[in-house]
Parts: sequence; C-alpha cells; structure tokens
Amino acid sequence: MSTPPPVEVQRFARIAGVVLWSAFLAAALATMLCFAFIDPLALGRGEPPSWWVSRPQVYAVGFFFFWFVGIVAAVLAWYLALGSRPPR
Amino acid sequence: MSAPAPVTEVSLYLAHAKVYPREVTGRFARLRTASVWVLLGIFYLLPWINWGERQAVLFDLPARKFFILGLVFWPQDFIFLTWLLIIAALSLFFFTAVGGRLWCGYACPQTVWTESFLWMERVTEGNRSARQKLDRGPWTAQKLARKSAKQFLWISAGLWTGFTFVGFFTPIRTLAAEVQLLTLGPWETFWVLFYGFATYGNAGYLREQVCKYMCPYARFQSAMFDKDTLVITYDTERGEPRGSRPRGTDPRARGLGDCIDCTLCVQVCPTGIDIRQGLQIECIACAACVDVCDTVMDKMGSPRGLIRYTTEHAVHHKATHVIRPRVLIYGALLAALMVGFVVAVAMRSPVSLDVIRDRNSLYQLTGNGKVDNVYTIRILNKTEHPQRFVLEAQGATELEVLSAVHEYAVPSGAVYSVAVRVRRAAYEPLGAETITLVLHSLDDPRVLTTTKARFLAPAR
Repeated sequence: MSTPPPVEVQRFARIAGVVLWSAFLAAALATMLCFAFIDPLALGRGEPPSWWVSRPQVYAVGFFFFWFVGIVAAVLAWYLALGSRPPR
Repeated sequence: MSAPAPVTEVSLYLAHAKVYPREVTGRFARLRTASVWVLLGIFYLLPWINWGERQAVLFDLPARKFFILGLVFWPQDFIFLTWLLIIAALSLFFFTAVGGRLWCGYACPQTVWTESFLWMERVTEGNRSARQKLDRGPWTAQKLARKSAKQFLWISAGLWTGFTFVGFFTPIRTLAAEVQLLTLGPWETFWVLFYGFATYGNAGYLREQVCKYMCPYARFQSAMFDKDTLVITYDTERGEPRGSRPRGTDPRARGLGDCIDCTLCVQVCPTGIDIRQGLQIECIACAACVDVCDTVMDKMGSPRGLIRYTTEHAVHHKATHVIRPRVLIYGALLAALMVGFVVAVAMRSPVSLDVIRDRNSLYQLTGNGKVDNVYTIRILNKTEHPQRFVLEAQGATELEVLSAVHEYAVPSGAVYSVAVRVRRAAYEPLGAETITLVLHSLDDPRVLTTTKARFLAPAR
C-alpha cells in the first residue's frame, strides 16, 4: 500500500482516466441531444423490436453506445497525437 | 516492475500524495458550511416535495416530460433546456469574471460532497494529525473499527445520494416503495449503484484530483480572469521575509514580514498547494487559508488579511474596477437571455398543432363543384387538464372543416391524431392558397394555436 505503483501504471491510469472521462462527458451530451429529438418508441412504428422494452432501456443503451464511440475517438486522438516518431 | 523509475520520467507524472486537509473555522468556512446545508438540503428534499398530485420536480424520462413546479415541459420544448444551459454557462462566466472561482469554492457539487465526506471522515477517524497517524500505523482493531465506520457512513451516503438522484427521474415515492419491497427494476438498481459509486469515489477518494485533472471548467476559468477579478492572494509585500518569532515582538524590528511561516495555510488547503507561491491553477478559492491565517494574525496581534480576497490591481496599489467591458458584456447578455427566457416560458403555447398533408392525393374534386384537401393533424395537449378542441380553417373564402368527430377530446399530455378534410368552392379563388388552421379549446379560451397549411386546388 505504501509504495506508489510503477510509473507505467500511473501513466496508463492517467491516460485511461482522461479517455474515459472525456468520452463520458461527450456521451452525456450526445444522449441528451439525441433523445430530445428522437423518441425511441416512435422508431419502432408501433412494433418495437423485441430487444427493447422501454424508453429508459433504450436511453441507457444509447448512452453506452455513445460512450463507446467517444472512447474510440479519444483513444485514436491520443494515439495519433503521439506522432509516428519521437519528438526531437 | 518494482525497480525505481528514472527521475526524468517520473517528473511529468508525479506520484499523487494524499492530501489531509486540516479542519478550519472562520467566516468563509461558515459560509461554505451554510452553502453545503442549503444545497444538499435542496438536493435531498426536493424530490419529496409534491405539487398537487405529483412530484414538484420530476424529469420523467420514461414519459418524456419534465415537471418543474406548475410547468410541464415536452421534448418540443427542448429549446428551453438549451436556453437554460446557455444561461448557466454565461452566469458562470459572469461570476468568474467578477468574483473568481466562487463556484468552485462554495457551490460545485464536488466541493459540497467532498466537504460532507470530509466531515464523516473527521467524525470517524479524527482530525488531520490523527488521520495521518492512523494511515501510517499498523492495522489494529481500532484502525479497523474507525475505517469500517467511515466506510459505512460513506457507502450509506453514496447510496442515499444515488437513490435521491434517480428520484429526480423516477417518482421517488414509488422508488422508495420498490426498494422496501425489493422489487427495484434492473435499470433503477444500476443507476442507483452507479451514482452512488460515483459519489463515493469522487467525494471520498478523488476529491481535489477531480478539480485538478477532470474538470474542464478548472482548465479554462483563467481565461475569464483579469487584473480586476477577485482572487485569493497572499500579500507578499506584507508577509515577506517570513519566519518564526516570539509572540508580541515587532517583526519589522527583526527585519521580518508578517508571515510567521506556520504552514497552516498549506495544511488546510484541500488541493495541497502553498498559496504563498502565488495564484495557482489548483486553487479552488475555498478561502480556507484566509480563515486560518486570520486566526493566526489575531493571535499574533497583527491585522487580518495577510491572505485575503483581493484583486491583482489592489495588490499592486492600483484602483480596482468592478465595472469594466468584460463584466458589462457578460452582464448584458445574461440579463437579456434571462428576461427572454422568462418571457418565452410565460408565452409558451399550451397546445401544439402539426398539420401533415395527405401524401396520396393533391386534392379531390367533389361532384358539386367543390374541392377537398385531406390533412392529418396531430394535437399535443401540454396543459395539465383534459381539453376538448375544435378546428377551424380560414382562407380567402369560406372553408369548411369535415372530420369524423366535431370535437377532439385530448387528455393532459396526450397526442391526438385525426384525419380532417377541408372543403371550399373549386375556383374561388383560382388555384392553390395558403390557409390558416385555428385550433382552440372549448374548456379554456386561452388554449389556442394556429398554423399555416397549403391548400391545393385546380387552376382551371
């Protein structure tokens, strides 16, 4: 407990935190905007697909979907920002 | 991987040292405590307050409507939510420009919950030095008992917070009954645990790291600062050179400033910085150092305010301007948006009417020289009462509205769809025209709306 984790672990935790958190904020915004305009039940045209039962479930699934997309974007942004060769 | 890493590599990712904020009393600490009581009181009690038959504030996501006191908002009113968020952002800018990080120090949920979790920590584990000693010491029965008591309080507070939070989105009384009967649905359970854990983690463990690493506002707030913004500053001119001295001696005679270098300002700091090094990005302007330094100055017989709320201009003996272009612009925009918001909400139409033309035919000629257009109308009753609506059509000449029923009875909050036929003489006026459809309630003359539609007819 008293020894701090190795620097690689700390760095990974820091980057993972930034990625998860920024994607979380973006997903919250996207979910709000998306479902303000789209009623999940209206999408089914009265015949909802069997995998969704209620609006809150669709909201939650939507949120995790946006979070996943946000994580992909954030990881890519981090990875590409590293550059292909070490800075001189 | 236990080999020590080279120092050059560590420097950017300095190991996080746990901050043990020392308890503080004083003017600003009292202000923050008051703020914690008011804000947490509102948060925990609001869902339990009823407005007539229903919960006073309920963001009913399953039913897609928001209840705020006497008002009901629909997805069609989304503009108001956006508007409100813009107002919130602008007020943050305004208050930051005038008063610095007032939000961070007194109102931010992170501060408010951290403060209450710190209180629970203090109750169970004791004051700063007792906590440090406890953490350094071995695992004894007493340590286990104190840590368990803290965890119990934290987890209970976290779960209660999660439950309350979900209570803003699902009627809280139903939720409470479901919890008691252990029939809470999977999603409600998930969100209660999710927000409970978020509270526990943020207020119990992450604390100042949220402000330092996670908060976007903390990063850009300095852009709103200028030399007239209220900041917490150590008066270097007055304090330096710092050093200890016996009580009651004249520091100037010893060549010292007013700072006795007791480091209490560092010990009370929730973000673990030394304010004497100047304004830093980590400073959340909680004024704990102001309070503690004032008590020290009182004891030493020196005037208060060695660390104080002031502006950069004041520190450099220049005049501070409260009214300046930045403040005027933010203030004017904010006032305009707020007035506009109130007016728009007050004038919000209590009923909405959508008219969709029948896609299958442009128009239909009847045998007696008349022409019909068919529309589907959708009525949304945004009032809290059922209404009986009637539809009229107004054009250049007389128009007749025909539908299966004469009155449309729409329950509160319901959407009513019906096909209507609008009829007029085929050639007066010649060709197409734009008509106005007027929908009004028989029960309440104030509930009325109009919309335009295109009426097609042959041009001979």
